[in-house]
Amino acid sequence: MDKLTRRGFLGLAGAAGVATGLAACAGTGSTATGTASGAAAGGGSSKVIWWSNHPGNSKEAEQKIIAAFQLANPGITVDLQDGGKNYEELAQKFNGALAGNAAQLPDVIVASDVTWFNFALNKQLAAVDDLMAAAGLKTDDYVDALYSDYLFNGKHYALPFARSTPLFYYNAEMWKNAGLEDRGPKTWQEFKEWAPKLQATIGSDKIPIILADGTNYLDWYFQNMAWNFGGAFSKEWTPTASDPKTIEAGKFLQELVAMKVVKFSKTPEADFQAGIAACMLQSTGALGGTTKNSKFAFKTAFLPGDGNCPTGGAGVAIPAGISEDRKKSAIKFVEFLTNTANTVLFTQATGYMPVRKSALDDAGEKAFLDKNPNSKVAVEQLAKTRSQDNARVLVQGGGARIGKSLDQVAAGQDVASVFAALDKETQGVIDAQIKPKL
Amino acid sequence: MLLLPNLALLTTFVYRPLIDNIRLSFTDWNISSPTANVIGTANYVEWFGREDTRQILTNTLVFTFVTVMVSMAIGLGLALLLDQKLRGRNMVRSLVFAPFVVSGAAIGVAFQFVFDPSFGLIRDVMARFGAQSPDFYQQPGWALFMVTVTYIWKNLGYTFVIYLAALQGRRIDLDEAAEIDGATPWTHFRKVLLPQLRPTTFFLSITVLLNSVQVFDIIYAMTRGGPLGTGTTTLVFQVYQETFINYRAGYGATVATIMFLILLTITFIQVRVMDKGTKT
Repeated sequence: MDKLTRRGFLGLAGAAGVATGLAACAGTGSTATGTASGAAAGGGSSKVIWWSNHPGNSKEAEQKIIAAFQLANPGITVDLQDGGKNYEELAQKFNGALAGNAAQLPDVIVASDVTWFNFALNKQLAAVDDLMAAAGLKTDDYVDALYSDYLFNGKHYALPFARSTPLFYYNAEMWKNAGLEDRGPKTWQEFKEWAPKLQATIGSDKIPIILADGTNYLDWYFQNMAWNFGGAFSKEWTPTASDPKTIEAGKFLQELVAMKVVKFSKTPEADFQAGIAACMLQSTGALGGTTKNSKFAFKTAFLPGDGNCPTGGAGVAIPAGISEDRKKSAIKFVEFLTNTANTVLFTQATGYMPVRKSALDDAGEKAFLDKNPNSKVAVEQLAKTRSQDNARVLVQGGGARIGKSLDQVAAGQDVASVFAALDKETQGVIDAQIKPKL
Repeated sequence: MLLLPNLALLTTFVYRPLIDNIRLSFTDWNISSPTANVIGTANYVEWFGREDTRQILTNTLVFTFVTVMVSMAIGLGLALLLDQKLRGRNMVRSLVFAPFVVSGAAIGVAFQFVFDPSFGLIRDVMARFGAQSPDFYQQPGWALFMVTVTYIWKNLGYTFVIYLAALQGRRIDLDEAAEIDGATPWTHFRKVLLPQLRPTTFFLSITVLLNSVQVFDIIYAMTRGGPLGTGTTTLVFQVYQETFINYRAGYGATVATIMFLILLTITFIQVRVMDKGTKT
């Protein structure tokens, strides 16, 4: 009996330990105001802690901007801290900080198109309109489509920073060998006609188009296809995946799969750079890496369809729970980070979009775009962008939920049933998590 | 009195979070929200009624069962082999143990070069024989196979070392007696070695099971729970998915609590079975 008791105790303690790790995330946090770390001349704290995931391998560019900021604002230092390797990890880290006290909160975070809203909805982000106005700074120079992405209940909760759109990348040599015009397809139907020609010349070990799979943002790229067919994931807060036009888009995707001209990958960028695919849809933020790593000439084009390009990427936001002094310095920094000169610097280093209208008139930017036609295409496409569907970017877990459904569609499941189930799930989340807080 | 410091630590870092987790499982807490509403057993009712529950439970059971059985069997085999006086055995022992101390995330990334259907090692080998590699990332069955094999490879060092230590501490006189009695190698293994390894096997079955159920890093690095949304999602991955991707920390706590109860039951049964075996 003694033995059983000892072993039992050890066994139970071990099993309990499992739950401990899981419960580590538990504990609703307080919303106490933070403490300012020293004071800068003219008000504000003397230190700004910035959590970034360095989108588009931008750490070096970020450090350059920080150095310039500190030179211009001698009383304030900026501490750039790694917030994770992607937007989701950064959001997880921020959620962890929210469960603690305000002293653990950073002053500035990178918040992606799919993570900012839940924070704003739960009153964890400061409205930047008020902070900008209080600091005598203006927001009218930000590209309207990018700035309005952060609008909720009449206030904006982030400033655009590493903003991107999907872009059509194609292997120029494969295009030429297939006898195709030196441009991207105007419609998806046109691509469907081109695909067999590409397949015939590239060989069976290569694929005409490679797309990210459902766990790697296929939901973002598919928005373009859905919009081209007149469909969408949602209209405002009403899910519309089961709309006949969205279903038509899903069926079109299945047709490409049936033709064996599309492949889904967790690393489409690497596959394209390795010459495995004739073209891909990828973020403009991948432009720098693809230019550096591809051993062949590639070109970029607008996405198929006219004006059916979703916005994407990330902005910078300020936590609501920090002190007013900290907010003063934080807004000063984020405005500097996204000013004309720095958006030009950041754009050229990464391939992300200029977030200021004035950046397009900048002489340095003009010269850069003339030298880099692929970047020029990306910037010109900016005028064709639209804000994304709420079901993907504002409904919690939307990207993963839609990605799962698209994986199912690609695997040959009935599109209408899959999208009906998707709508049901999306509606459930809207009813439970969003409507009560709107 | 001597137990008090340990009890205090256990209470603070194990039992208090456990109780807090159970409390949260009855709420609708959005992890970004400073408040949470009590919603009774709604999360539990949802879990039992959800379509993906069966798939996730099956994934967890298959992954855990295969991992426990295969890593213990191969670990024992390697321990038996490397218990012999062979040239270079110390180096081989180190090599076998090495993966266990490497982080799961690093192994997950490294194994992509093995399984990647476009430029992985398996693709290359199969292409030499004119065969096509399965798409390990897009087909749920193959994806689960991939993460299971990867975890077994990482975990082999652990089972191997524990079995090796047990073998080296066994009674040599029993080996000699078996030899004198003319026992075949199989009879020697079954009648002499295995009974002596029984406590070790019991210890490993519990620890490997608990470790396997908690595997997160390899799944995150290799598949993020996909394909098809739940192709390789296990209970612990669902906790992450619900808490940090869907922001439903209350529901995540429910899954964690259910997982805790399942493990508690399995561990209790293991203890009872072992105890029965010891008495007979």
